[in-house]
Amino acid sequence: MKAKIRDTRGDRVFNWLNLAFWIIALGIVLYPLYLILIASVSDPDAVMMGRVLLKPVDFSLIGYEAVFQHRDLWNSYANAVIYTLGGSALSLVVTMMAAYGLSRRFLAKGLFNFLIVFTMFFTGGLIPTFITLKDMGLYNTRAIMIIINCVSVWNLMVARTYIKSTLPEDLYEAAVVDGATHFVYFFRIVLPLSGTIIAVLSVYYGVARWNDYFTALVYIRDRAKLPLQTILREVLASLTTSTSSDAFFSAYANDTKGMTDAIRKAAVAKYCCIVVSTAPAVLLYIFMQKYFVKGVMIGSLKG
Amino acid sequence: MLMELSFGKKRGLDHWLRGIGVRLKTDWQIYVLLLPALAFFFVFNYRPLYGIQIAFRNYKAAFGVTGSAWVGLKNFRDFFSSYYAPRLFANTFLLNLYGLLWGFPLPIFLAILLNQLQHKRFKSFTQTAIYVPHFISTVVMAGMLYLFLSPTNGIINHLMGTSTYFMIEPRWFRSLFIMSDLWQHSGWNTILYLATLSSINPEIYEAATIDGATRVKKIIHVDIPHLLPICTMMLILNAGSLMGSNTDKALLMSTSGNTPVSDIIGVYVYRMGMEKAQYSYTSAIGLCVNLLNFVMIMSVNWLSRRVGETSLF
Repeated sequence: MKAKIRDTRGDRVFNWLNLAFWIIALGIVLYPLYLILIASVSDPDAVMMGRVLLKPVDFSLIGYEAVFQHRDLWNSYANAVIYTLGGSALSLVVTMMAAYGLSRRFLAKGLFNFLIVFTMFFTGGLIPTFITLKDMGLYNTRAIMIIINCVSVWNLMVARTYIKSTLPEDLYEAAVVDGATHFVYFFRIVLPLSGTIIAVLSVYYGVARWNDYFTALVYIRDRAKLPLQTILREVLASLTTSTSSDAFFSAYANDTKGMTDAIRKAAVAKYCCIVVSTAPAVLLYIFMQKYFVKGVMIGSLKG
Repeated sequence: MLMELSFGKKRGLDHWLRGIGVRLKTDWQIYVLLLPALAFFFVFNYRPLYGIQIAFRNYKAAFGVTGSAWVGLKNFRDFFSSYYAPRLFANTFLLNLYGLLWGFPLPIFLAILLNQLQHKRFKSFTQTAIYVPHFISTVVMAGMLYLFLSPTNGIINHLMGTSTYFMIEPRWFRSLFIMSDLWQHSGWNTILYLATLSSINPEIYEAATIDGATRVKKIIHVDIPHLLPICTMMLILNAGSLMGSNTDKALLMSTSGNTPVSDIIGVYVYRMGMEKAQYSYTSAIGLCVNLLNFVMIMSVNWLSRRVGETSLF
């Protein structure tokens, strides 16, 4: 045991100030999220009057009702699930394969490395990419929503660094002596030992796809194929609060006083939309959080 | 088996070719593993590079990329002589510059302070919590701004007793854009710096404590010097995209009122290209910006290699 040197007075002041700083910072980070949560289960009038500040006022699930009755929204929700699961699975497989490849020495590695890194710094741009893919018949297909953005160079480099720094070279040599080829080594040894980085990549890829609205804005025309975020944009991110997005919900109000009711509903329904659409991404992160800090840190330290 | 290639020695072409043969015998599987990723980059990144030529043509869908007539630099001239060009460049540059001035130092500052938190569980809770906003989509972020800042129902206007049209008045656009970015991503952006701080040898801190260094002194003389290389790298990366556009977000936050400042290059390209189908004209703009960004990142990289020792490549 070594003797512990006690904090000086100045250090203790610093610690208290630092703690105070972080309590305020946490408030700034978490309060807007909390506000959305409590507004989503409050009475519309209280929300519109700005009375919902610290806890739900006149608890009501009217907003969630409106959201659950909304067919367009659920259709797009289903689309988003398909695009996210399909796209992330594809991304994971392709990225891990390439990451292993790049972690080894082989002929003309420099050339391949260059070809991949170059795409980070120079791209065709929105319109040439759009025209190229359209000419290939990918416009307005579900396929493009799954294969576009398949490999992120950044993620690829993180995965390569992870494989390089966690799997010792001796392991590879021992496997080779036992007659393992690259395929065998990759599937039987590298993949089973890469759980952490696979978890991290699935969060990265999954969340990026779930949250993407721009791809569909450019590449999808049929409303039936739109993902959640693109539909959400119509509901949330528009100035015309009292026209388009309220009409969006009023289409499902069929009684006589439906219109005013719909406007009230829409006021909370927006908060409910945020909760319903954001929960999967945030929950995924919180579930994977254990792997996260470790995996990201190993992968991001340049090897 | 690992066969070393001996390029330098005088062994002759024959030996060299045999060496390649031996390598390919084991390495072909690596190429197979790389193939899907390379195919993806070829289709989504390299084929569009070939499509850039429409910037020099008058693209008509019926004639295709190679069948449309050449027009030389007409599209570029049209853009640079238009009323919009100076405004677009200024808006894009200023939005990024202000964003960088706030967004670059804040995560470093946060990482240093977070690293100093003594209570282990509070520290890990804080770390988990400040990453959460990063997982919120851009659409929801913009939606939150519209909701909280609404002149009639928004909580901000309620609390201040005002009815400011935050999302319409041009003078609010940049502040809101940058503040919401800070809220969403500063926490997340501490990761790299925290990783660097946690890799510092604890003996250095112990030695400093024995020498009577206070916490503030340790930050100045241990933490900051250790962070400098990674800071330089991040600065290079950020400076290289000063003319880039966060089109996703600007598009969501742009309203009829704030276009004088919210009109940035990416938004203009999207509006003119996708909504008005001016493919050649917008490809020309895109090409200019790409070249500009490319030159910028290369020169910042060159500069930092000359001045300091850090560089990306």
